[in-house]
Amino acid sequence: MGDIFVLAEHRRGELREVSLEMLAAASSVAPQLGGKITAILLGSGVNSFAEKLAGYSDKVLYVDDPLFAEYNSEKYQLALSDLISRYQPELVMVPHTTQGVDMAPALAVELKMPFVADVAGLSFEGGKLQPVRTYYQGKINADFAFKGKPPYLITVRESSFSAGDPSKQGTVEKIASPLKEDIQYRKFVEYIEAVVGDVDISQAEILVAIGRGLREEKNLSMIEDLAKSINAVIAGSRAAIDAGWLPHDRQVGTSGKNVKPKVYIAIGISGAFQHLAGMKAAKTIIAINKDPNAPIFTVADYAIVDDLFKVVPKLTEKLKELRA
Amino acid sequence: MNSEVRSFLEKHDLLGCVQCGRCTGGCPVTARTDLNVRRVIYESIDEKMLDKMSKLPDIWDCTTCSTCAVRCPKGLKPLEVLIGLREVLVESGMVQSTVRDALESVFQEGNPWKKPRATRLDWAEGLEVKIAEPGEKVENLIFVCCTVAYDPKLQDIARNLVKVLNKAGVDYGLVGDGETCCSSEVYNLGEAGLFEMMVEDNTELLKGFAADRMVTISPHCYSTFKNQYPLLKMEIVHYTHLISELLAEGKLALPKEVSKKVVFHDPCYLGKKNNVFEEPRFILKQVPGVEVLEFERKKERSLCCEGGGGKMWVETESRKERLAETRIKDARALGADVLAVACPFCILTLDDALKAKGFEEEMKVADILEILHEAAG
Repeated sequence: MGDIFVLAEHRRGELREVSLEMLAAASSVAPQLGGKITAILLGSGVNSFAEKLAGYSDKVLYVDDPLFAEYNSEKYQLALSDLISRYQPELVMVPHTTQGVDMAPALAVELKMPFVADVAGLSFEGGKLQPVRTYYQGKINADFAFKGKPPYLITVRESSFSAGDPSKQGTVEKIASPLKEDIQYRKFVEYIEAVVGDVDISQAEILVAIGRGLREEKNLSMIEDLAKSINAVIAGSRAAIDAGWLPHDRQVGTSGKNVKPKVYIAIGISGAFQHLAGMKAAKTIIAINKDPNAPIFTVADYAIVDDLFKVVPKLTEKLKELRA
Repeated sequence: MNSEVRSFLEKHDLLGCVQCGRCTGGCPVTARTDLNVRRVIYESIDEKMLDKMSKLPDIWDCTTCSTCAVRCPKGLKPLEVLIGLREVLVESGMVQSTVRDALESVFQEGNPWKKPRATRLDWAEGLEVKIAEPGEKVENLIFVCCTVAYDPKLQDIARNLVKVLNKAGVDYGLVGDGETCCSSEVYNLGEAGLFEMMVEDNTELLKGFAADRMVTISPHCYSTFKNQYPLLKMEIVHYTHLISELLAEGKLALPKEVSKKVVFHDPCYLGKKNNVFEEPRFILKQVPGVEVLEFERKKERSLCCEGGGGKMWVETESRKERLAETRIKDARALGADVLAVACPFCILTLDDALKAKGFEEEMKVADILEILHEAAG
């Protein structure tokens, strides 16, 4: 008793980092629970993953079967329910990923396991394990207590724990596949890749956005210079896109993309309402515009009221100096 | 055929379509995009096509201007088919993130602009305004509109209306900070469920005022309350109706001359959708000094500015000239000093187009209320 099971996740030939994060979390509570850490791995041709996981756990139990080549919640549930019933661990950890949340609730129901989802931390109160969940975008933590008897099930949020260094040499045990034949009613079909555009401005940390104030397309080189000096991505207002200076997917605003980068530098953008609504969530907004009444200044943290053709080259020069 | 699909076909009377193509022929956005309304209707008859049709980017090109409905010889409403397809997509949860954000904002804050409800009346600061109390008897309950209340560029419209009403001694009251989006755009973006909920909530809220009628600033609110709120029994009028009354009854004096050539752009939601053509023109003609010009494409043939139908949240990728720009060029060719409108969305699109065309020096885009306020002195 007191053992912890950690379900390792892999996808398209890669062991996912969340597996190691969960093992680190397990290590942090294993002493209090007084048990061993077992990594569970289901896959096909995954010996190397098993070896790697052994560096972070006391034991690795793995199934190597072509029927487990791709994730399938039905098969995973079957295998896990079998292992949990046999070994009776105290705690079972499953990643809170699309795979994990697809399977965990059904598993919890099947085995009548007390279940806490989307766990971001683990604490102890009166010798009892308490999973921690967060609310209001991380502003509030809530401790949960399990009702009933173990085994307990939790799904663990990605990036909530830091993966440690390999410090263990666990035993690796290959176990027989619980599947005799393939499941017919739920099948893996294919992976569909998200369509990637040239650049996704909604993911950029620093955006340099231009507006009609830039006047002509040839002035774009000046902006590219600035963007390059701070590794920024260039975006634009609707007017700049309409003028054909930038491709359509670079448009910021309610009819383009809503963005919230760490830094947003608005150059020659007066700030139409729809533009402001699309970018005001940026952490720091720097606006350069010669019109002091431009609405962009109502949302800006830093305002430079001057001719952009004077400001931008000087700014680029200074930034280059600072970075040199 | 399952019952849901049968209802789509029945709801839009698709089999009533004779495929004459007048909808596509009249559709203004075909000048810019590949939208072919006739074909969409034809293909939507096949139940198996609905999912696929709902994923066509073309269905988001429609501005819901109603030209197709005005021209359909069978009295169908082709634009509703496009909205219906958007509903299918919304139902599947696959809408653009900008649309999702706008809808979420309406749900949470009662406006599509992600603005806090608490600041809805900020435009009225320092102004003498009367806010209606629930149960209080007012002749004219004023519904401001989210876009007018929050967009700094448009807030003057509301301020000008209040000033004019004060001057004319009109008995009015604003709905106040409880005012909640009419949800015209929620409907047009295909969120039928949220729309239904907002209609219920708003009906409840507005019934609480003992008002004879409600006056809206935006034609979009006007059209929605008038045509899509079956249980709201009060009379709904657009502000041009109220102002026309005041002028006709001699209650509003316009002592100052405004020597301008003014051309009026018929907003689709006032004109094509509700046949209000005369009131705005009547008002302009009462302003001393104003010379009223007319577009060749006017009244039910008026060219849409592309501001409605959810277009504030969905961009058409076409690089071809925006219809608003065409409109600006037409106004310029007429020699107009002012392109007058009576709709907040029209102001936004036309004012952008004015800048894009570089006519800011020669011409301006203004709401009728701005001209009126100037004339009232």
